[in-house]
Amino acid sequence: MSGLRSFVVRRLVLGAGQTAGVVLLVFALTEALPGDAAVTLAGDRPEPERIAAIRASMRLDLPAYERLAHWAGGLLHGDLGRSLVTGRPVTGYLADGLAPTLLLAALTVALLVPAGVGLGVLAARREGGRADRLISSVTLGIYAVPEFAFGVLLVFVFALRLGWLPPTAVGYGGDLLARPAALVLPVAVLLARPVCSISRLVRAGMLDALASPYVAQARRYGIGAARIRYAHALPNAVAPAAQQLARTVDWLLGGVIVVEALFVIPGLGTVLLTAVSARDIPVVQGLAVVFGVLTVALNLAADLVTHRLAPRTGVAA
Amino acid sequence: MTARATAARPWARFTLGALLVCLPLALALLGPLFAGAAGPRGASFTVGGGALLGTDFAGQDVARQVLLGGRSVVLIALSATVLAYAVALPLAFAAALTHRTWLEELLMRPLDVLLAVPSLLMVLLVATVFEPGAAGLAVLVALVNVPDAARIVRASAAEAAARPAVEALRMQGESWWRIAVGYVARSCLRTLAADAGVRMTGVLYLVATAAFLGVGVDPDAADWAVMVDRNRTGLFVQPWAVVVPALLIVALSMGTNLLGDAGLADRAGTGRTKGRTRKGSVG
Repeated sequence: MSGLRSFVVRRLVLGAGQTAGVVLLVFALTEALPGDAAVTLAGDRPEPERIAAIRASMRLDLPAYERLAHWAGGLLHGDLGRSLVTGRPVTGYLADGLAPTLLLAALTVALLVPAGVGLGVLAARREGGRADRLISSVTLGIYAVPEFAFGVLLVFVFALRLGWLPPTAVGYGGDLLARPAALVLPVAVLLARPVCSISRLVRAGMLDALASPYVAQARRYGIGAARIRYAHALPNAVAPAAQQLARTVDWLLGGVIVVEALFVIPGLGTVLLTAVSARDIPVVQGLAVVFGVLTVALNLAADLVTHRLAPRTGVAA
Repeated sequence: MTARATAARPWARFTLGALLVCLPLALALLGPLFAGAAGPRGASFTVGGGALLGTDFAGQDVARQVLLGGRSVVLIALSATVLAYAVALPLAFAAALTHRTWLEELLMRPLDVLLAVPSLLMVLLVATVFEPGAAGLAVLVALVNVPDAARIVRASAAEAAARPAVEALRMQGESWWRIAVGYVARSCLRTLAADAGVRMTGVLYLVATAAFLGVGVDPDAADWAVMVDRNRTGLFVQPWAVVVPALLIVALSMGTNLLGDAGLADRAGTGRTKGRTRKGSVG
């Protein structure tokens, strides 16, 4: 048990270090601003009172370590600061964009598991067979394609040529559930890459499991092929894929930013992109900390669960 | 039959990958030579009327923009990959070959922290503060890829450095340099080749996506990703200004991945390892 405990401790320390690293990295942004930060941020509107307001709201007259302490202290209390553009609290921005993004992410993850596992099992039914070759090649190809290019082509085919689905979610506001048709293309684009990675892992795991001695023994006992496949081989094949599932959060995050821009969905990705182009540093910092800490936490959880399930996999920590 | 099918597949993949990569790569590298001088700007989003693919949002000839627009994507991705290895390889070898644990920890632990930040988020963060430009985008994408590349190369180098052969070389009194470059680095070549394919695909993804989001490129640059973004508003009037560059990006990234995979299967002698997906191959 001591091995397990020391692994958990090491992994938790790494997670804490990563969280601190994310916060420091995000804070370092304001320090990296060229020249006088307040003047740079004022950009096109360099009126003296605006510069003074920015300086006051970001406390630019204090030394860096005091600002870091103040900002990090605020984070602990859930205070992410205020927007330089509107003066609204950053938490308000988060609350606005959360619903559509959460909906997209939840739908994607809910469909991802059956689609990925299903395709993987189908491909592994006969290695080198027609279905396997088709699925393996298509997943390998789609896996590499950037979401925006894939998405724009889907819009061209399904919205423009066939006219089956709306091209964007413009006009539905945050209420996407009211118009499920507008969700089909965004979720399809978000699904494309993670489904490929998961189905490939499941396929590889199934082929390994089906070639293993215990499956051969089960065959000798005369157990049916379907039962061997689903009751004996599949559980072993799913373990590596489960860990990959948590890692796809990273992908989903990148995908969500692109998909929201492509389909004009007012979620967190859109909030982030707007803040980036307006140089609204507090909003960017707040969102980055939330995204970064979420990624750290999910990866940590995945490693701990995987280690608990299959201690031999030896997750790096 | 199974064995034959598996053995035949890398070839089929290689051919398919090469075919897919051919057109976009040729366009990217040779296109600018044939683009010619810019014609007069016409009306926005017209189809036909002298221009093969119509005009774009700014009234420029789409065919000419397509000829010009591949170079930036391909060159930025190539230089970012090379740059990422230029930083990651010395780091990884130093960490693998040192006998001082504190030095190894000092070199590798910060990278573990950086691995936690999603790549696209990192790119957007930096873009908030600087306007990176093409060179800046290459550096940025390279840096984002350093932690993962360094980790994989270090693991492979550490394994090679622990072999009895290294012990024997050391006892023969071979210099550190000869052991490091002549034996350990050469043992890592296979891993490196496999990683390079995956890395190139991931870098291409990140470069194109960043350009689509407006990082590191001018708003009216001749760049396939920028074309997709800027001409989206006219998709219903003039689809070719969006569809042609999007198809070229799809072909380029699909082809790169198929080629990398074929090379991987060929070298490793098994199709299994390619099922692995890595964090670094992502945006």
